Amino acid sequence: MDKLSREEVLHVAHLARISLTDEEIEKYRRDLKVLMDDIDKIKEVKDFDSEMMYTPINDNTRLREDVVGEMLSAKDVGVNAPKKNGSFIEVPVMINE
Amino acid sequence: MSSYVPTIGIEVHVEIKSNSKLFSSSANTYGMATNTAVNVIDLGYPGTLPTVNKEIIRQGIRTAHILNCDITRKMHFDRKNYFYPDNPKNYQITQNRTPIGRNGYVEIEVDGVRKKIEIEELHIEEDTCKSAHRGNVSLLDFNRAGVPLIEIVTKPCIKNGKEAMAYLTKLKEILFYANISDCKMEEGSMRCEPNISISKDDNFGTKVEVKNVSSIHNVGLAIDYEINRQEEMLNNKETIKEETRRFDEKKGKTILMRVKETGNDYRYFIEPDIPYLELTDEFINDSLKSLPLLPDELREKYSKLGLSSLQIEKLINNRSLNDYFLGLLEFKTNYVMAVNLLLSDISSYLNKHNKVITDTNLSYEKLVSIIDNLESGDLSNKNVKDLIDSLMETDKSLDELKKEFKIENITDDSFIKDIITKVIENNSESVNDYKSGHDRALKYLMGQVMKEAKGSVNPKKASDMLREALNK
Repeated sequence: MDKLSREEVLHVAHLARISLTDEEIEKYRRDLKVLMDDIDKIKEVKDFDSEMMYTPINDNTRLREDVVGEMLSAKDVGVNAPKKNGSFIEVPVMINE
Repeated sequence: MSSYVPTIGIEVHVEIKSNSKLFSSSANTYGMATNTAVNVIDLGYPGTLPTVNKEIIRQGIRTAHILNCDITRKMHFDRKNYFYPDNPKNYQITQNRTPIGRNGYVEIEVDGVRKKIEIEELHIEEDTCKSAHRGNVSLLDFNRAGVPLIEIVTKPCIKNGKEAMAYLTKLKEILFYANISDCKMEEGSMRCEPNISISKDDNFGTKVEVKNVSSIHNVGLAIDYEINRQEEMLNNKETIKEETRRFDEKKGKTILMRVKETGNDYRYFIEPDIPYLELTDEFINDSLKSLPLLPDELREKYSKLGLSSLQIEKLINNRSLNDYFLGLLEFKTNYVMAVNLLLSDISSYLNKHNKVITDTNLSYEKLVSIIDNLESGDLSNKNVKDLIDSLMETDKSLDELKKEFKIENITDDSFIKDIITKVIENNSESVNDYKSGHDRALKYLMGQVMKEAKGSVNPKKASDMLREALNK
């Protein structure tokens, strides 16, 4: 059975910012290949890239009026966050200079 | 002289003025308490769907129009995929394939030479949340998540820091006057990212992007620094890497931030949650209706009114005074005198009290009557200075204030005559100058008369009488 290369899997893992064990890499070499083959099959559909594939209706310009609606409290904004710092949501530092 | 040719393009992000955000109805404001202008769409919660704000599309149309772009009639949004905590959906909604505007230009003038800075495209996208870095953590404020942005991308047609500064200054002025954005670089509502490469031939060199530049002036410095740095590297046979650098103001240098990920890694695809948008002629024309006069149009208009180029630039640099002056044009008066007043005594008052003109009681009628009185000589410049606080702060008319302050310029002939005689006696040299054809001497003598009278005589009358006495 065809598999992705180790490098390809590591590249995808890097984009998702996750680390994988050797075992997981082997698993995804197979699993991701299956997914990609399925996607390639879909791409074979005629006019895959045409507008019809994205929207089946004409005259679909639907715009929202510029009015401010309901908003969450700072408390609710952080309710699902793993860590908070005052009203801020705290995450591991994101810059590497 | 260097044998390398620099090639510079600039990406500018501006935050667009609107009530609500681009894809959600949260408030689009600056300065609210942390994480209070947020809803579930801005947080990328599962099951939420974006809806496009009509006003932002209108602002996009206006921007495309004023930057001389072709407006895209049929467009869609795209997902730019990347994993980063400042965007919890893990993609930013942007316009990759169908930007709202293409092929525009901004005309600049550098050292007397005009040049068109070509705009490749401009597109609408959402901002990310704001992050502050503290040691080994980053703190996120989602008020900015989903704030509408327009990104304006030039072609690589800029040659040096000076051209870049001229372009950005002009762009900022246009966007500010058109009410697209308040363009405050210090608050981040205008962000400029130049990319710079140098080459000896027609092939472009490797480009380096500079981020986090806090002022237009610093963009110029960063570009010129980067051109020199790259020249030195190539002269030393070093290879320039495609990378992102930031500008350190204190050191006046660019510093490496990170090596850039390639474009393919963003895996753009059409945003399936937002249908195609089709802009009709009616919608486009309707959006353009509200555009005010833009700086170059104002320059032309003011120059026809006889204002000097210095006055024009000062007026355009002060938006509130400019808007006030535009309203004055509905009245018939001496506009040059009006601008003189606006830029002198009135501006001093406003600066001193930290006010804008709309905060004062200076109605157009009052201003027109001040100008009439100045022209007829019933009011001197000194009188205006004395009255300025009351003119700006009370709703009393000029006539009422003149009575209250007992301003009645002396028109008594004998009083003026005595002063003139005294001035002529004491300034024989200037009198001779005048008699031998030096008109300037008259101005000096008139100044002496007003000084002697402590500004209390009708200047027109005194000037007529002085001339008469001198011509005797």
